Amino acid sequence: MSRKRIILIAAICIVLAAAITGYMLWNKPHKEVKDASGVKITATELYNNFITDSAKARTLYTDKVVQVTGEVARLALNQQDQQIILIKTPVSGAYINCTMEEKTNAVKEGASVTVKGICSGYISGDAEMGLPGDVFLVRGYPFTK
Amino acid sequence: MEDIKADNNQVISIVNTATGDLQFSLLNNAFHFKKALMEEHFNEDYIESAKYPKSTFKGTISNLKDMNFGKDGIYNVTVSGNLSIHGVTKEVSVPGKLTIKKGSISATSTFKIKPKDYNIKIPAGVKNNIAETVELTVNCTYEKKN
Repeated sequence: MSRKRIILIAAICIVLAAAITGYMLWNKPHKEVKDASGVKITATELYNNFITDSAKARTLYTDKVVQVTGEVARLALNQQDQQIILIKTPVSGAYINCTMEEKTNAVKEGASVTVKGICSGYISGDAEMGLPGDVFLVRGYPFTK
Repeated sequence: MEDIKADNNQVISIVNTATGDLQFSLLNNAFHFKKALMEEHFNEDYIESAKYPKSTFKGTISNLKDMNFGKDGIYNVTVSGNLSIHGVTKEVSVPGKLTIKKGSISATSTFKIKPKDYNIKIPAGVKNNIAETVELTVNCTYEKKN
């Protein structure tokens, strides 16, 4: 095989590899949540951790898959018709606010639930108005295993 | 070319009907994009959500006297205040609509900002693919708290 041909084949291979890598990067899937192993924690512990030491809690939980267990305070739908599960915390009016990936009928208000999702963090409310903040979970799934 | 769009439902917003004070606080890492790569670039390269976890707005309804929270209707409002994104706070004044229906309040607004005003740097390689101005759409429903 001539040297020119070897160079040409090598160049084609490099371009192809770059194109495939680019395509795969562009189309890489979102973080796996449903089958990921999440940090197991109760709603009370998670909420308390954020309000007592938010810097530490951010390191431990933010952008990580967590599996939160607690009592369902309320079910709702957001403006995009996604199901929201509000899990009770020790603070009245403050919740673990879970935006669910799929709607479920299996979860009932007042019952215990475990939601697996990605923890986005904590937003404080307004102390002057007496409104507490929430801890947010996105891409949630009811954990049934 | 394609529209780059992201939604964020991880928002706390409070409106004080007595004073007209209005505030929003959202988690930057909760913007959800169609493509995982877009989300990654947004968080790591543009908004730097680990360094600046929240964006906030604190302002007041400028024309509160035109509002009647006790009467159903759609009210045009102007909200002025401080918008903080990416560690930069700027005064803004944006138009919006407050809808009062059977005691519940909902708010909508659409306005534009320039990422460079908030010190968000777009890498030269993708500068031509990303608009100089970004459109923000707000859609909130409020519940009464006693």
